[in-house]
Amino acid sequence: MDPSGPVQQLLSQGEKCVSAADAYLVQGRARVSRVAALVETETAFGPNFGFFMFGTKRMPVQGSDLTLVTVIPVKEDFAVEVIDDPSQDLLGSDVPVKVCGSGQVLTLNLPFGSKSGNFLTALRRAISIYTSQPPAEVFQPFAWLEKYELMTATADRSDWPWSGTGLDAMAAEIVTEGFEDNFADSLSFDDAASLASQQDLGDSEADGSGLEPVNVSRGGSASTMGSMMANPPSVREPIVKMYMLKEEAKYTHLKTFRIFAGTWNVNGQPATESLKAWLAKDSTPPDLYAVGFQELDLSKEAFVFNDSAREEEWVKAVTHGLHPEASYRRVRLIRLVGMMLLVFVRSEHNKFLSQIEAQTVGTGIMGKMGNKGGVAIRFDFHNTSFCIVNSHLAAHTEHYERRNQDYSDICARMQFNLTQPPLTIHKHNVVLWVGDLNYRLSDIEISEVKALIEKEMFWALMEHDQLKRQMNERSVFKDFKEASVNFIPTYKYDPGTDDWDTSEKCRVPAWCDRVLCKGDSVSAVEYRSHRELKLSDHKPVSCLFDIGVKVIDEDNYKRVFEEVIRKLDKLENEFLPSVSLSCVDLKFERIKFLEPQKKTISITNTGQVPCQFEFICKLDEKEYCKPWLNVQPSLGFIMPGDSYPIELEIYVDKNTAGRLNSGEDSLEDILVLHLDGGKDYFVTVQGDFIPSCFGSSIEALCNMRGPIREVPVARLVDLEAGSPSETSPEDSFSTLPIPKEIWLLVDHLYKHALCQEDLFQQPGLHSEIEEIRDCLDTGMPDTIPGQPHSVAECLLMFLDSLPEPVVPHQYYQSCLDSCTRFELCEQLMSQVPEHHRNVFKYLTAFLRELLKYQDDNKRDPKMLAMIFGGLLLKPKPDEAKRQNNQQTARRRATFIYQFQVNPYDG
Amino acid sequence: MNSNHRMVGRRRSSEAKQYDMLLRVLLIGDSGVGKTCILYRFVEDDFTMSHISTIGIDFKLKTVEVNGKRIRVQIWDTAGQERYETITKQYYRRAQGVLLVYDVTSEKSFTNISKWANDVDEYAPEDVERMLIANKSDDRDWRVISKQQGQKLADLYRMSFFETSAYRNVNIKEAFLALTNNIIRRQGIIPAPDNSCVKDGKCIHDLDMDLTAGDVTPLTDTEETKTGACSACSVV
Ligand SMILES: Nc1nc2c(ncn2[C@@H]2O[C@H](COP(=O)(O)OP(=O)(O)OP(=O)(O)O)[C@@H](O)[C@H]2O)c(=O)[nH]1
Ligand SMILES: [Mg+2]
Repeated sequence: MDPSGPVQQLLSQGEKCVSAADAYLVQGRARVSRVAALVETETAFGPNFGFFMFGTKRMPVQGSDLTLVTVIPVKEDFAVEVIDDPSQDLLGSDVPVKVCGSGQVLTLNLPFGSKSGNFLTALRRAISIYTSQPPAEVFQPFAWLEKYELMTATADRSDWPWSGTGLDAMAAEIVTEGFEDNFADSLSFDDAASLASQQDLGDSEADGSGLEPVNVSRGGSASTMGSMMANPPSVREPIVKMYMLKEEAKYTHLKTFRIFAGTWNVNGQPATESLKAWLAKDSTPPDLYAVGFQELDLSKEAFVFNDSAREEEWVKAVTHGLHPEASYRRVRLIRLVGMMLLVFVRSEHNKFLSQIEAQTVGTGIMGKMGNKGGVAIRFDFHNTSFCIVNSHLAAHTEHYERRNQDYSDICARMQFNLTQPPLTIHKHNVVLWVGDLNYRLSDIEISEVKALIEKEMFWALMEHDQLKRQMNERSVFKDFKEASVNFIPTYKYDPGTDDWDTSEKCRVPAWCDRVLCKGDSVSAVEYRSHRELKLSDHKPVSCLFDIGVKVIDEDNYKRVFEEVIRKLDKLENEFLPSVSLSCVDLKFERIKFLEPQKKTISITNTGQVPCQFEFICKLDEKEYCKPWLNVQPSLGFIMPGDSYPIELEIYVDKNTAGRLNSGEDSLEDILVLHLDGGKDYFVTVQGDFIPSCFGSSIEALCNMRGPIREVPVARLVDLEAGSPSETSPEDSFSTLPIPKEIWLLVDHLYKHALCQEDLFQQPGLHSEIEEIRDCLDTGMPDTIPGQPHSVAECLLMFLDSLPEPVVPHQYYQSCLDSCTRFELCEQLMSQVPEHHRNVFKYLTAFLRELLKYQDDNKRDPKMLAMIFGGLLLKPKPDEAKRQNNQQTARRRATFIYQFQVNPYDG
Repeated sequence: MNSNHRMVGRRRSSEAKQYDMLLRVLLIGDSGVGKTCILYRFVEDDFTMSHISTIGIDFKLKTVEVNGKRIRVQIWDTAGQERYETITKQYYRRAQGVLLVYDVTSEKSFTNISKWANDVDEYAPEDVERMLIANKSDDRDWRVISKQQGQKLADLYRMSFFETSAYRNVNIKEAFLALTNNIIRRQGIIPAPDNSCVKDGKCIHDLDMDLTAGDVTPLTDTEETKTGACSACSVV
């Protein structure tokens, strides 16, 4: 099929696919199936061309199967060159072509044939048009290609090992290179990776997507990448075929069949003679007949309309002439003007014939009329492929080169499309070529010819035979064989007699009618002419062959087939991405508030393919890990054998400390590490959190007489749950009015820092802050360590990490609303729960006290109000985002300010 | 020469067409019951004595032939440890078949089947094909769950039932083939001839292991071969 149609579907308006061809891109030892196309658009300065190359999903292609992989503008650096490769001169083999441009050099193999020829011609024409145009800098003609270049930038993932195209390479490699190799060795790394990636495809085909407990978050590049890959074609089937082919010897054996191949130029005569003398001369009936005629019909109708009245009578004559001791089925009939080919098979063999296809090639006037040329029938008989050609080549003694050319044309243009890729004549196991090949005797007088015939010195005459000479020069029928000719020339007789031509032209006798063969285990049994048949000016010729045909042994076939499937399964499993983790169970000890701890695990790619890993979300979760955990990096790419370090950091901040202190949450998480196209691994992270007064609630702390670390965890949970002391008698009598931690901090500042400049503004020392925190959590010190700034910052942090702020969330909005009127503020505060109210009272009293020493500490009341407003009054976390603007900040400050300037004692 | 070979790839018409159909089957059950060993035995035909607990989800592929059709089965091996339960459940919903595995030497793994079955009910697709597997049938000395107990449980849950030994390679292939067969039959992908289980709204027969000859060698002790509920009905 011509791929230019599908290519055209992908182009924009005004752009035209001038020519397109199937091609193989040669990549090292592999060949990858591609479609090459020449695209034209009209510019103000004349036509403008681009060379396009597409990846294909399947054959024959449709527009949607094509993925653009390369675009090269046809300009000064563009060149096309047919590579001379002496090893490739076999007619019908692919033509290697080098295409260069835009810094790329591509080696393509174009299938032999006129389609490829036309494509090359079109490319050359495009180059010559370009050179006749003004220089490109002047008129910038290639802007239209930019959109395509962009497409290729995103589409061509062929460098990714799992790209679908690798599979073509796999298939191609097995065909072209892998035959002698060990089974697994012939699989390159790329190939099997693609096979594995096919797995993914399988998933998505089955019901939309893989086993997907997750969707990608925090990045999501993996899925993007996945979707960018072209879907690999359904590749397993062809690969199975390739492997089966490779193992053919294991399940086939040769069985010899007798095949009759005959040819007769009947000179337009009606079928008035019985053909038994030609077709059924021997005692054993052949297994298969291939019977070719030329000049079956010389009428005008046959020539112009390929419509023949003679066809039927000759078919009948042949049918009646077949060997009477066997029954035959007609396999196929093909006729082009006067050339007809019939194939019959003994009925019992019919079921072993498959993939039957007939084609014609005309080489007459204008290179296509059917008065000369060839017709062919191909089929598979058991496991051996046959191609039978019947041809009538150009006439006249002097035109032997024309005959050679007819032969080449037939070889080049005869193409069978049932199989993929399409087949030419030479790609068959057995080729039988019959016909009026029209080669004559050269350099010899007619009298001498007749004298030699008289003496039956055919071998001497054969030295003058043009066909033999041309074959010896390897100018025609290369690799064909012919049995030795031991019969007198078959041309030219006076019709109805055995007399040589007596017309005025008085032709020199010649062996025009021949039977040639090509293939292993083909041997000629009997090559002869049949002089009994007289109606034509030619005598019919036949050659009996014994041909070894590969017959399948069912049991072995099944065994090998299962073996192949097993091996493919094994390969697929082996090439699944796989890693090992240095640790899957991380335990962090003594995690403290605001003190990050890190551990590193390493991922090693233990598989045979590069792998892409990513930590993925569990169902119904938005993040792949808990908020107190951070994983760096959360996705990456590892080559086989390489390792990749992953850092896991636990960091408990005010957002998470509350729930951890209260026992609502614990430091426990399971991460799911997903490999693209592969398995999932679980990594358990556990941390042992040391409770802190930071992040604990005011109520809970008021119920603790001792430091938090001395309180049993179970009791902590109870306290946070709001069930106060019905416990031990010694502390049951009372709760503290305010958390002792606040009292300790504030009292320290009161005693030592009232005159401290920049208090609550200059940051403390990190190490001192940790020390103070530990001190508050572990014991009741007489003095708080550290300088005033550290103590002050600690106080602020403490207030900031309260799960419920000093002014509880529920009063937040009312406080803002009434912040301008102190009585209302006071009234609101009276509703606040006791311990919170106590803390509030205590803190505001301290602020008022602090402001008495304004001269020394240079504290600005508004600034303090701002700081404490933001800590004592907080919206609910989920409302914080919406509200946190300057205006609310000012109102919060105003609220606190009221208590700084007005006397207040609850 | 190679080029000559290229084309002889076709098969005779009698040849079964290659099916690239993919089925997903899940192995679940307590840790240590032998899920990974079962998978390994089926896919690689091998066995190891050591127990390396699966921490994650692994899968392997195997092509099987059922009723002359080739089917690619992707088998997912899950972590059986309790702490991963919530995560592994999330993989159920893509499965067409589930093998619930217990260990005949572990009472707990047997009683826990009810928990696994509930999870399947809750998280797997409604029409998922279930099969109960009693593994380690070779271990006579330590057996605590009899075949009858297993069969009874399978009947209760309307699952098919196989006693297997990954160690001795008993019934492993058979179980997978039967499951595959049940799946494709239930899903009507390849309707088995004359096998309409439900007539006039009633089940007319028990599940018959109607596998192509050679595909399945039934359990040797024939009395006990009969499997439980009719798989085609168990969902109705
Ligand atoms: N005797 C006997 N032992 C078996 C059999 N199958 C598995 N085992 C043993 O049981 C142990 C656990 O097997 P695994 O397959 O790793 O168990 P699992 O179900 O995958 O466990 P998790 O991965 O933790 O869920 C191994 O030591 C095996 O050798 C069996 O058929 N017979
Ligand atoms: Mg396991």
